[in-house]
Amino acid sequence: MDSNLGCLRRQTLAVAWVAARANLAYPLEVLGRAGFLAVILYIFLRLWQTTYEQSGSDKLAGLSLPDMIWYLSITEAMWMSAPRLSQQIDQDVRSGNLSVLLLRPMAYPLYCLMSNLGERSTRFLFNLLISFSLALLLVGPVKLCAEGAIMTGTAILAAFILDGLAHILIGLTAIYFQDTSGLTLIYTRLTMILGGMLIPIELFPDWLRSLVKFLPFPYMMYEPVKLFARPDWQEYLKVLGGQSLSAIVLTTLVALVYRHALSKISTNGG
Amino acid sequence: MFAVQAEKLRKDFLVSSGLFQKSRLVRAVCDIDLHIKEGEAVAFIGPNGAGKSTTIKMLTGILKPSSGKARVLGLDPFRERAKLVRQIGAVFGQRSQLWLHLPARASFDLLGEIYDLNKADFKKQRDMLVDCFDLHAFFDTPVRKLSLGERMRAEIAASLLHKPRLLLLDEPTIGVDVVARMRLRELISKWHKEEGMTIFLTSHDTGDIESVASRLIMINHGRITVDDTIDGLRAAHGQADGLESTICKLFG
Repeated sequence: MDSNLGCLRRQTLAVAWVAARANLAYPLEVLGRAGFLAVILYIFLRLWQTTYEQSGSDKLAGLSLPDMIWYLSITEAMWMSAPRLSQQIDQDVRSGNLSVLLLRPMAYPLYCLMSNLGERSTRFLFNLLISFSLALLLVGPVKLCAEGAIMTGTAILAAFILDGLAHILIGLTAIYFQDTSGLTLIYTRLTMILGGMLIPIELFPDWLRSLVKFLPFPYMMYEPVKLFARPDWQEYLKVLGGQSLSAIVLTTLVALVYRHALSKISTNGG
Repeated sequence: MFAVQAEKLRKDFLVSSGLFQKSRLVRAVCDIDLHIKEGEAVAFIGPNGAGKSTTIKMLTGILKPSSGKARVLGLDPFRERAKLVRQIGAVFGQRSQLWLHLPARASFDLLGEIYDLNKADFKKQRDMLVDCFDLHAFFDTPVRKLSLGERMRAEIAASLLHKPRLLLLDEPTIGVDVVARMRLRELISKWHKEEGMTIFLTSHDTGDIESVASRLIMINHGRITVDDTIDGLRAAHGQADGLESTICKLFG
């Protein structure tokens, strides 16, 4: 059992590490993407400045303007770090590259998840470097504590796993539908809106706020990042609980679809 | 002992032409029998669309047979794929198992971890393969910068890292220039002779077949039409014609 777990740990870390290294093969592309993030963040600053001025209040949803910009600097860094995993799986299925990946002693969804995690973590750290520098320049420093950084960091890692699982679930449906771009578009827009990337969930209308509580989207962005602004151990445990429950549901769905999809693969021809 | 056994192996695909069109059944492989002994080097040939790749995919557990039985190294490929993949190596000429943006070394290290190889054994095997396949000059160069011949040498070496008992080669020399192709054949042949590994090769190149295989199985329209030794085929169809002409005649 121990040796199996040890093997799994080595396998998964090795895949994540190689994916991270491969992502650094083009540093200019990474920097270009991070530069685009700076433009987006500046636009958000101007939008929120106007919103705060119009509302006549110092705080919205308990967040001051500097808090809001720091919040957005993390959510934007997260959003822009996401590789197109479901599209990659879609391509693996359509191109037949899936054949090569299935001939390895590592489950294909796990391979995809770890590869995605390695790639995304690298991109995220680069993005964060840019977005934090910009936030510091635009609205000054924010009160930061080690506890908050640990809570946010671990919850963000869990959020990446949840998002990866959702993408794998969508990507695997390519075995049935061939093209998953429609589903991917719907999913990414739902994450963008219901995950709280553009607007913190506290600013949603009551009915929507009570609805998203039961969905995994807030755990992919809003809840982990909220811990950065307001670190609280009790809240942190609640977030981890929600993330674990979402992960169990998504992992079960991935396992079921993967198992069924394997018997439906029909890559005839070379 | 047989490395590959198949009885009445069949694969049907349902092909749909459009939303309101009725799906039609395509029989890619039709009730084939295969018996390949351990240590044999077999060429599995046929025209495009004959069912070669579909057969390989069933033998490696990627595709579920519609009917019939298959045993590869004593295992049911589809049900026991996780066990089987540790004992087989596969090279698909038109696909890559190496990370394009990283040097081959990084992919080799990754495969060592994925196959959970003992560190010392892995290093010994890797160094031997680097020597044997002459990868030294470009082992630390990103794979995307390699020529096709260099990449294929690295691909085949990578598939041998975990010391597979059966190596499946699906058109390993496709697109490779004449010199690199000859080098690849020599290496595969040498490795087969020295390690006694079973080889299952599909190729459209008669040079590959003559250099590597001692037996030829031909598939056409999903059925096995010829199963003989290369020497047997030469004797039956005359030496003067050459293997290529013989195969053309057999294709009909």
